[in-house]
Amino acid sequence: MLDNLVIGMAGSGGDGIVSAGETLVAAAATEGYYGIMTKSFGSQIRGGESSCRVRISSGPVLNPGGTLDVAVALNWPDFLKFGAELPVGGNTVVIYEAKSGVTADKIPIVGVTPAEVVAVPFGELAKKMGGTDKAKNTVVLGLLAGWFDVARETLIKNVAKKLAKKGPEVVAAAERAFNAGVAYAAEHPLKSDMRMAPPKDGRGTKILTDGNDMCAAAAIFAGCRFFGGYPITPSTEVMQYLSREIWKYGGAVLQAEDEIAGVGAAVGASFAGVKSMTATSGPGMSLKTEMIGLASIAELPLVVVNVQRGGPSTGMPTKPEQADLFQACFSAHGDGPRPVLAPTTVADTFGMTVEAFNIAEEYQTPVILLSDQEIGQRKEACTPVDTAKYKVVERLRPTPAELEDYTRFRFTDTGVSPVSQPGMLGGNYLAAGIEHNEKGDPTASGAMHGKMNDKRHKKLVPLVHRRDLFHVEGDPAAPLALISWGSTAGVCREALAIARRRGISAKLLVPYLLFPVAEEVYHEFFIGVKAGLVVELSHQGQLYRLLRMYVDVPRGIRSMCRSGAAPYLPEDVVRELRAATLGLQGETAETRQPQE
Amino acid sequence: MSNALPVVDKKFEPKDFKSDLKPIWCPGCGDFGVLQSLYRALAAIGRPAHEIAFVSGIGCSSRIPGYTTAYGFNTVHGRALPIAQGIKIANPSLLVLCAGGDGDGFSIGGGHVAHAVRRNIDLTYIVMDNQIYGLTKGQLSPTSPRGLKTVTSSLGSLEDPVNPLLYVLGYGASFVAQGTAADLPGLAAIIEEGIRFPGFAFINVQSPCVTYGEDEWQIKEQRARMKSLESLGHDPKDQLHAMDLARAYGKELYTGVFYRNPAPSPTYDQLVLERQKEKGASAPDPARVLDSLIQR
Repeated sequence: MLDNLVIGMAGSGGDGIVSAGETLVAAAATEGYYGIMTKSFGSQIRGGESSCRVRISSGPVLNPGGTLDVAVALNWPDFLKFGAELPVGGNTVVIYEAKSGVTADKIPIVGVTPAEVVAVPFGELAKKMGGTDKAKNTVVLGLLAGWFDVARETLIKNVAKKLAKKGPEVVAAAERAFNAGVAYAAEHPLKSDMRMAPPKDGRGTKILTDGNDMCAAAAIFAGCRFFGGYPITPSTEVMQYLSREIWKYGGAVLQAEDEIAGVGAAVGASFAGVKSMTATSGPGMSLKTEMIGLASIAELPLVVVNVQRGGPSTGMPTKPEQADLFQACFSAHGDGPRPVLAPTTVADTFGMTVEAFNIAEEYQTPVILLSDQEIGQRKEACTPVDTAKYKVVERLRPTPAELEDYTRFRFTDTGVSPVSQPGMLGGNYLAAGIEHNEKGDPTASGAMHGKMNDKRHKKLVPLVHRRDLFHVEGDPAAPLALISWGSTAGVCREALAIARRRGISAKLLVPYLLFPVAEEVYHEFFIGVKAGLVVELSHQGQLYRLLRMYVDVPRGIRSMCRSGAAPYLPEDVVRELRAATLGLQGETAETRQPQE
Repeated sequence: MSNALPVVDKKFEPKDFKSDLKPIWCPGCGDFGVLQSLYRALAAIGRPAHEIAFVSGIGCSSRIPGYTTAYGFNTVHGRALPIAQGIKIANPSLLVLCAGGDGDGFSIGGGHVAHAVRRNIDLTYIVMDNQIYGLTKGQLSPTSPRGLKTVTSSLGSLEDPVNPLLYVLGYGASFVAQGTAADLPGLAAIIEEGIRFPGFAFINVQSPCVTYGEDEWQIKEQRARMKSLESLGHDPKDQLHAMDLARAYGKELYTGVFYRNPAPSPTYDQLVLERQKEKGASAPDPARVLDSLIQR
């Protein structure tokens, strides 16, 4: 029995393979499994190739998994276009369309002999039993349910539910197609038993969502009542969710005329006293830069979500990359600090989004939440977030006494001064992008400018002592270290577990707060560390270089990085870790004195 | 989302809206006239300063919010309108004013005007049009006449100017007017009417730059040239005639209301309130926001 199953499927746009993946992960979630589903498309709006990867597990999952356990190719040319995104290995069961005419010993997978290769007449079964070639994806589901014993009852129920409005005949045909798949599986058993273990938790114990919806829901929880934005892949679902839901909570969404207007309206709403957010991706982030500086100097809370994609410029809009870290930390002119947070899974996107609002409110600052395409658009089945665990912070507002003689930017010990808002009698002040004195009046004094920069930086100092924004996992005394962030951190967590099973002792630091850089946290983590890797999906190794800028990074720590699109697999990291341990052993050997 | 505003029962005078900040403008700048007219209009409207949000961009004219007692926001170049709209949507009970120069409104921020118009969001946008970039010391502006020699066009400009009036009328704006710093009572009346108009009100003000502007643009010359639309017998309900008159921008100095839509679309802010009321009737608990995601 398996605890964990990774299925990769590919076909043409019209084959409904992504829809099958969605149905599968939803049914598995209903039955109490954990899961992740990612999808990948060609750049066509309709048609073209599409694929998905579904991982189902009886325990929590942190990444879409490595080499496939099951590969489903509705046609070979489309499957092969996804290359490294759907890796077939020696333990993979490969299932493909028999109509392709390719014999099992001639499948176009080079250099690997899969565990089993099965040709299935998907199209024929679909036509015969489902009455249409379009039922192919339903046959696939029946087959998977049969061979791997996943969520059979729920799957058929959900397929029927999905097609209900098309009439009883369509539903009956789909049921026949599904059962044809199940029957085919029974008649052609796999050589090895690959049935999934039943879920540990019962039915109805999981939520299923993607990172963008999770972010939007968390924003509502955190009190966000205004969203201004402009559609951009892969962040648009944040606006889509809010444009449906936020009204119920007394909020509003403005689809602005451009990225600048979107964030501008959010800055305005925040000035008016309402928690505000915008969401975007690389190109939009570049455009919003000036407004982030404005929010810094005007000391207005603002949450800016960047669901990263491949860059620069248009780059790779539907693919993940972690190459906007420098931009998040440093874009904008002047010394304008802004906290940068990054979730690592769909599940922790909730907490990080709430944290982003809380920090923005507490310190009256823009906060950048760096998600990525992988987290933003993958579906994750996880345990429901306990919202009672999270507090919601409101900005410091002036007391009636303070409004008697109000000083908006009053110097305080913490650097945070009470902020009024239009409508508040006595709170009238001038907010400005121009440097100002404590009252808010424009100034050209260098001394005042220095003091205000102090104020704006001082506010954020407590953040670097927030140990809860850093997770250390694994053996705390290990000489081998991993540091990783964002979706790649999920890959490293699994790599750490695999490495441990293979006798490699290592530890992992996951920073959720990327900026300001918490020097102490890293220094502490590096104690006793001889070698290690900073793992990330960016050509330059941006986190590695950021750490080198602020922290004394031990010489043995090197960067493991490459451009995005295809995320790292846990095995990639394990391999490098293994190499690093061998390096350590070699080093010990080198320090031995030569014997005469 | 909206905040309950305290009711202040008080008669206002123009000086109630004057702040302690001393304007940076050159003596004789047209913007002083705009400021005086605005004080008068606000006194006539009678909303207390703390219920007013006054947003501007960058330029000499964009310093204006600081010279009033309202909540001011002197933002970045060209982006006053998006920020003002965010304020209005967040709190529709506020009186929202927006101001800037011709560069702000028709060059760097030109893309935003059309969208504020089509939302008919209830705010008043005052453009102080002086055909020159004064703060940066005398460069071409989008409303500079063709052939104008400036420090960035020492051989003469090669472009036609933008026609702000015709542009905004063309976008379908429901309230379009022009005033001049040479006629303070007239300008105050136009601003007051713009503020009272239920929706987006655009007011172009000929506000000469005393330092870098041409002689024929100055207050004295404007006073001699200005013609009220009323005296021409123009009916502000007549959109086509308004456009016809607006074509004379740069040649004639018409003052008054070019167009006032007798039946404007509902304002964006009003529609926001209605939608919030309709959808918010069930008042869901934000702590249960994830409940609908549970797979049953």
